[in-house]
Amino acid sequence: MSVPVVRACALTKTYGSGPAAVRVFEELSIEVAAGEFVAVVGPSGCGKSTLLHLLAGIDSPDSGFVEIDGVRMSDLGPAERAKLRNERIGFVFQFHHLLPEFSAAENVALPLRIAAVPPREARRRAGEILERVGLAGRASHFPAEMSGGELQRAAVGRAIARSPRVIFADEPTGNLDRENAERVFLLLREVQRESGGSVVLVTHDPELASRCDKIFPMSTPGIRQGVPGGIGSPDV
Amino acid sequence: MPLELSIAWRYLAASRKRAHVALVSAIALGGLAVGVAALILSIALLTGFQDRIRERLSRDTPHLLVTPAQGAFLARSAALAAVIARDPEVVDVSAFVDGRGWITDPRARTALPVRFRSDAEVPTGEARVSAAVAGQIGVGRGGDVRLVGNRSELSPLGAVPVALPLRVASVSTAPPSASAAEVTLSPADARTLAGGADVVSGLAVRLRSAARAEAVRAAVAPRLGEGVRVRTWAETNLGLTFALRLEKVLIFVTVFLIVVVASLNVVSDLALLVVEKRRDLGVLSTLGASGGSLSRIYWWLGASIGAAGTLAGAAAGAAAAWALDRYALVPLPADVYLMSHVPFALHPRDLALVIAFSLAAAMGAAALPARAAGRVGPAEALRLSR
Repeated sequence: MSVPVVRACALTKTYGSGPAAVRVFEELSIEVAAGEFVAVVGPSGCGKSTLLHLLAGIDSPDSGFVEIDGVRMSDLGPAERAKLRNERIGFVFQFHHLLPEFSAAENVALPLRIAAVPPREARRRAGEILERVGLAGRASHFPAEMSGGELQRAAVGRAIARSPRVIFADEPTGNLDRENAERVFLLLREVQRESGGSVVLVTHDPELASRCDKIFPMSTPGIRQGVPGGIGSPDV
Repeated sequence: MPLELSIAWRYLAASRKRAHVALVSAIALGGLAVGVAALILSIALLTGFQDRIRERLSRDTPHLLVTPAQGAFLARSAALAAVIARDPEVVDVSAFVDGRGWITDPRARTALPVRFRSDAEVPTGEARVSAAVAGQIGVGRGGDVRLVGNRSELSPLGAVPVALPLRVASVSTAPPSASAAEVTLSPADARTLAGGADVVSGLAVRLRSAARAEAVRAAVAPRLGEGVRVRTWAETNLGLTFALRLEKVLIFVTVFLIVVVASLNVVSDLALLVVEKRRDLGVLSTLGASGGSLSRIYWWLGASIGAAGTLAGAAAGAAAAWALDRYALVPLPADVYLMSHVPFALHPRDLALVIAFSLAAAMGAAALPARAAGRVGPAEALRLSR
């Protein structure tokens, strides 16, 4: 049996301390196999974004562990964890979060520049990626000069720049109209199929969730969760 | 160009469009520039005066002074002079006689202990007295004085001190010798007072360049043998040259405090940028940038603001110092100060030192915000900036 790309076991996360402490979830486990497209669904405030942050290694659980490609996050120091994020993880935020001072091509090239790819080579590859996401003509445009759909497609381009093993997308279609939401979803689907990587998509849209390989349901805080297929909606 | 530097420059360029950040950046940059300009002008002013004093010292005192290691008189002075004169840097070697005595007015109402010294340019029977001597015994140019040596000779009345009647040829008002009790005599008169026709107290050596004094001393001293002491003009004026150096260091430290205070503006500017760019820091961290990389962005920002402020201040300070000196913009009464205007002189070494210290201050100021940026947790940054 192959090692899952993402494996999280018994994750517990609490914000704050003392009487004001809010437990977001407890003993939550999830596995994502290579090439899977998983939708994470649930009501607002149930901890979907927090789960994505824990899986992507940009936050740490109170207990439990996360493994990416068999590498346990908690065994890594901050610098090694940053390197792992750069090499194996792509992240698409609900709001594009492109750096406003940089053009679309420069934003897409950021993960490459962080990986010390020479600027000229990074620019060339960013150009190819922008063509792939349908923004070839927007390479030199700054975020303030682009539409919401274009910004989110550029954000997807940035997430796939390093050909990651898994892309975490935190409601990437939440602020888009139907047409643009569909384009972004299809784009994620295509790059996942082409690269053979995995995608974990947080969405409120039941229609989009139903088109994913699996659905991972989350409920209101305090309710115990389980691996997909074990608890919640059946796999689709 | 490193990624961190390109991000820092983009932030700086973009900050011009946001009024509050632009204002804080302008204050930080302007403060540094003013501080650096003030420091350069202060150092240039001090250096200008000190250069004049050194120039005068090197002109009025021998570049090398050869004296006996023990005793008052130099033996084999002619032979030693011949050895020294062979060095190609040496322009002139002259024997001199000096000693101590008492100077009185003709009626001997006031007596003053003085140091006397020979000078071939002074005619026999005349004396050049310092302003301090002239003032204290109440004589001027053309007045008569009596100089009594510290040795005696036999007379029909027994042992009497050797004394010479002299006419005051001129009164020296040039600092720093003007404030000392000094009398300059002809070599013959000086020998009469000091101990006889053949005595020599030492050799005064002049060189092509006063700056070469140390090198020539190192070359010549071993050839002169035992019992001879060779001092450079800086050593013979050690107290004064030390005071000049100390004065420069103190002025540098005091005025540099302006730069330090200006650097605090860099701290507030960068701290503001850390807060404003917290979301970007979270995004970069999510993309895989390490804490060190995020810190370097703010180091570069500090260095860029520091470099811009420092270079602007250095250019303004250097230009002002040059113009003030070149066009004599601060006049002085020449009869009082022996110079017609306040001199400004900026040495490349001083300029380099000011630039280096100012950049270091700006970089030091960037340390705190850079550290804070490196510690921004990506999840927290993204959560707080929603």
